[in-house]
Amino acid sequence: MNQAFDRPRFLRVYSWGVYLFLFIPIGVVVLFSFNSVKSLQNFDGFSLQWYEEFLDDPTLRESLFVSLEIAVLTMVCATILGTALAIGLVRARTRWSPAANVLMLIPLVTPEIVAGISALIIFSQLGIQLSFLTIVIAHITFSISYVTVVVRGRLASMGDEVEQAAMDLGATRWQSVRLVLLPELWPAIVAAGLLTFALSFDDFVLSFFTTGEDVQPLPVRIWSAIRFGVSPTINAIGTLMMAVSLTAVAAAVLIPRFFGRKESGIKVLTGQEGG
Amino acid sequence: MSARGFWSRFLLPGGVWLALLFVVPLCLLLALSFGYTDDLGRAVYAFDFDNYKDAFDPLYIPVLLRSIGFAVATAAICLLLGYPIAYYIARYGGKRKHLLIALLVIPFFVNYLVRTYAWVALLADDGLVNSGLESLGLTESGIQLINTPYAVIGGLVYGYLVFMILPIYASLERMDPSIVEAGKDLFATPFRTFLHVTLPQTKQGILAGCVLVFLPAVGDFVSAQLLGGPDTYMIGNLIQDQFFTANNWPFGSALTVVMMIFLSFWMIGYLRSSAREARQSVPA
Repeated sequence: MNQAFDRPRFLRVYSWGVYLFLFIPIGVVVLFSFNSVKSLQNFDGFSLQWYEEFLDDPTLRESLFVSLEIAVLTMVCATILGTALAIGLVRARTRWSPAANVLMLIPLVTPEIVAGISALIIFSQLGIQLSFLTIVIAHITFSISYVTVVVRGRLASMGDEVEQAAMDLGATRWQSVRLVLLPELWPAIVAAGLLTFALSFDDFVLSFFTTGEDVQPLPVRIWSAIRFGVSPTINAIGTLMMAVSLTAVAAAVLIPRFFGRKESGIKVLTGQEGG
Repeated sequence: MSARGFWSRFLLPGGVWLALLFVVPLCLLLALSFGYTDDLGRAVYAFDFDNYKDAFDPLYIPVLLRSIGFAVATAAICLLLGYPIAYYIARYGGKRKHLLIALLVIPFFVNYLVRTYAWVALLADDGLVNSGLESLGLTESGIQLINTPYAVIGGLVYGYLVFMILPIYASLERMDPSIVEAGKDLFATPFRTFLHVTLPQTKQGILAGCVLVFLPAVGDFVSAQLLGGPDTYMIGNLIQDQFFTANNWPFGSALTVVMMIFLSFWMIGYLRSSAREARQSVPA
């Protein structure tokens, strides 16, 4: 009996079942994006016609670029704000720190629909026309916490001895941050940034509530397209989006390795370095 | 300049951003929920409780209950699917641990809409599952899969499963394997060891996983919209309707506040336990 429990065939079969459950639907989307006929049941042969249809459509192409621009802007701004916040949270011990710690976590546990609605309300209250910019602002607000959690995890596992040594040798505080702290944090910062890129690129709910009359990001376009029924063009868009965000995630895992920190990337993704 | 003053400045930009663009909007949402819509359809701030009375109208109670029911079912199924796989990877993953975890995480970086769309294509009346069943001769006219509560719950499970697996996996990894050995040494059966040693040790991970699945599932409107029908309407759909179709922002805000109050119980529990963990991991 012990033997049976120690090498549980049942557990293994069960686990592979879960993996199949996770991958079959995605595999089906990818497969039928290459179908040569407009069918989602019979695969008739390989073709790229749905990709051509997608990329030949000027508004869809623009949506793709808009999605990419939003994701890049979100990545840059949220990474800067979130990293600074993480440094402040770990190093500054003020009476505000506990409050800031909680404040930082709230966006992570708030359902996205609530964040979307409150963003919509404040923009309309301030009389700001919904546009590209409002989407970016909403995305940044939601992404700061992710960056902070990832960077804080790395920061919490480091001491400040090297910075102290740098200051003993005559470095100013700013120099010790720039020359010692940031280089040490760099792998976590890069991983957090790429993660933010992927989250923003994939986001639907926030964009849905804050998108305006001008060019809509791809997920919002997919939403309106699905309501007219399934079509292989949606499969092609979905597959292409998948390729973009998985590249970003793969980079988030692999890039920290170039900095010689083998453990960092995957632990960032699994939250083991997070809070 | 003092060290404290220096480091506090790092808190400023992100803190101010979150305060102005996250906390203030939430307060506005709360304020608006006491307002009303004037004859021109504009939202007006006021102070009455009519929206809250409406929210608990017999018409909407089933929607609230259904949302909670769907989310509880989702969390329960995620736990049943997720715990064994987390256990398998943590105990038997060996060198492939990281690969196995990465394989679990990958699908969750595929756009949520696209993943739900995949299920629409699979479960539709003329979808792959039905045409597969028909060609096998198992059914003749196909079975109704889409527009059922099962499809909606399935979509939610598919959407949020990873949030269950990762915290459980993390708590299994943190566990000291020698206490399982101790259980064996005391002649406990494997099942009893699991029940009295492993399970209590991973309680924190299970709770975190349940909260992380439950919270987004309650507010979800994508799965119910795409995989369900009128009978599977959830509170997320109702809220979304108030902002886009019915154009009754104050009522939509009140529904959101009701949902948030219900969820805040779970949120606070989760925040407290993760704040405790953060304190433990930050060297004082």
